[in-house]
Amino acid sequence: MNTLASTQRVLIVDDETPARERLRRLLDELGEVVIVGEAASGEAAVRLAGELKPDVLLLDVRMPGMSGLEAARHLALLPAAPAVVFTTAYDSYAIEAFEAQAIGYLLKPVRVEKLRAALQRAAQLAGAQLTSIARADPERPARTHVSARLGDTVRLIAIPGIYYFSADQKYTTVRHGGGSELIEDSLRALEVEFAAQFVRVHRNALVNISFLAAVERDAAGLHQVVLREIGERLAVSRRLAGELRERLRL
Amino acid sequence: MRLPAERVVVCSNGSADVNSAPGVRDAGRLRALSLPDFCAARAVLAVVLIVTLTAVVLSVARQNAVLGFWLDLARTALFLLWTGLGCAAALCLLRRPLAALPLAAAIVSALTAMLAVIALVSAGVLWLGGSSLLGARATNLLLPEKPWHFFAANLGIGVIVGALALRYFYVSGEWRRNVELQARSRIHALQARIRPHFLFNSMNTIAALTRSNPEKAEEAVEDLADLFRANLNEQRSSITLKEELEVARIYQRIEQLRLGERLHVIWDVTDLPMRAQVPGLLMQPLLENAIYHGIEPRPGGGIVTVSGALDGDTIGLTVRNPLPEAGGAAHSGNRIALDNIRERMELLYPGRSSVEASRVGDEYIVRLRFPHIEDPTRIPSL
Repeated sequence: MNTLASTQRVLIVDDETPARERLRRLLDELGEVVIVGEAASGEAAVRLAGELKPDVLLLDVRMPGMSGLEAARHLALLPAAPAVVFTTAYDSYAIEAFEAQAIGYLLKPVRVEKLRAALQRAAQLAGAQLTSIARADPERPARTHVSARLGDTVRLIAIPGIYYFSADQKYTTVRHGGGSELIEDSLRALEVEFAAQFVRVHRNALVNISFLAAVERDAAGLHQVVLREIGERLAVSRRLAGELRERLRL
Repeated sequence: MRLPAERVVVCSNGSADVNSAPGVRDAGRLRALSLPDFCAARAVLAVVLIVTLTAVVLSVARQNAVLGFWLDLARTALFLLWTGLGCAAALCLLRRPLAALPLAAAIVSALTAMLAVIALVSAGVLWLGGSSLLGARATNLLLPEKPWHFFAANLGIGVIVGALALRYFYVSGEWRRNVELQARSRIHALQARIRPHFLFNSMNTIAALTRSNPEKAEEAVEDLADLFRANLNEQRSSITLKEELEVARIYQRIEQLRLGERLHVIWDVTDLPMRAQVPGLLMQPLLENAIYHGIEPRPGGGIVTVSGALDGDTIGLTVRNPLPEAGGAAHSGNRIALDNIRERMELLYPGRSSVEASRVGDEYIVRLRFPHIEDPTRIPSL
């Protein structure tokens, strides 16, 4: 548990300049905290949190692209995950979820005494908490990125740039434009979350529809999909081959 | 209460939502003949009562010396009950197909059906008279004497009474529809009030500006006050297009403080007749939608284009915004504002306005069309 005595390092995240300006001023008035930086998007927040290692993030819920709720899910991967205090002008669903999970939040315009109290109480968020608050965002069921832990930072991988996810016994690998990474999500959960964009081709692979080039048969008569751009081939289970052909025809 | 004149109007209301395929979907609010449900027990009871009372009136008026009052009443009531209930049964069976027809065709069909029933019952009476079932025709005073006269008279009365009844049903149906429309538009007006999200974000912006830029903060407070005044105006009266556009511009100024470079609005409205009367809060909700759905979810922001033109007697207004990038789901609030505008315009200009929403390429476009009226007394108040 953080206390003000230890001089918290704070990262301000909000897409609106006046909102960031005001938080900065309120924090200045509080003294006792160090503002390590500002971010104007969820993506920047995750990147800066890895670099600057703040103790606390003041994180706006509603931002274009990656929302604050999604950013918090990625942040939870950091080895020393920062505490998060959400800020919101008006999001009834999110507020309900914060209340239910006892997660700290501040309503904008923020009052200085509430800010002080929230910083004193700020705590790290657990994975389960984050998943359940993410579900409280009715407008964005799917994340814009998946994240992989890379040393003591988090690497964000944008969904449209992902070719496929594959799984072995323990790990899920994400193959994307920049290489491949291990992630913690299960293939089953990914399939549900990104059902609009990814299709299951095999028990252990989930392929981005936009990179599906063709379904072929190899010499042994086994079905394979060919992927655009990288030209890799992935095995297709017999059961799913027909379904996949249907989908390609559309 | 102003009742719309009886005429056949094909209403051009169309709608489409963000999630639907490109194109325009018909709102399906055609003016139709709305008949009561003659299959229901209440309606049947009403028919029986009206028919019986009519028989009483006819018998009293006729003062039939030969048959006497009671016998005259009995035969009149018998005939009218058969025709009345027959017509009710016919309209009950035809209710569904009639509702699907345009107004004129529905009226003609309903009238034809009723006349057919009357002809059938009359023919039945004449057949009974011709048969020996009730004794010799010459001696039975219950039956009409001149068959063709009887037939023609019944059909003549049928046309007049049927037409009157249909007119009554049409007017009362229209009246009910109007009442419903007004009630709904009030509810929607409440829902379409400025989004709380916008209010609190604006308050936050002002709180930030009070120290960093007090003059801007002052302006923002003034703008917010004007905007709320326009919103609390109950949407009762019409205002000039100039005033309405000013409200929309005030809204833009407030959003501009918050969104900065991300928001660009292009106004192409110089060709519009600025003194035209329009319902209040016509443009501002559209601009609000465009910013909320089109600009805010885009990290890089975008351009909203507001354009307008006068085409003969019709004012056309168009608001375009970029669609949120793939993956960004559309907010649900959009429909409410569009439905609200559509209903208010339908009340003000029955059958003469349209609201269309469509996605064309990567743009979302809302088009309003309504008549150019400068005289405020020609716009009914809500």
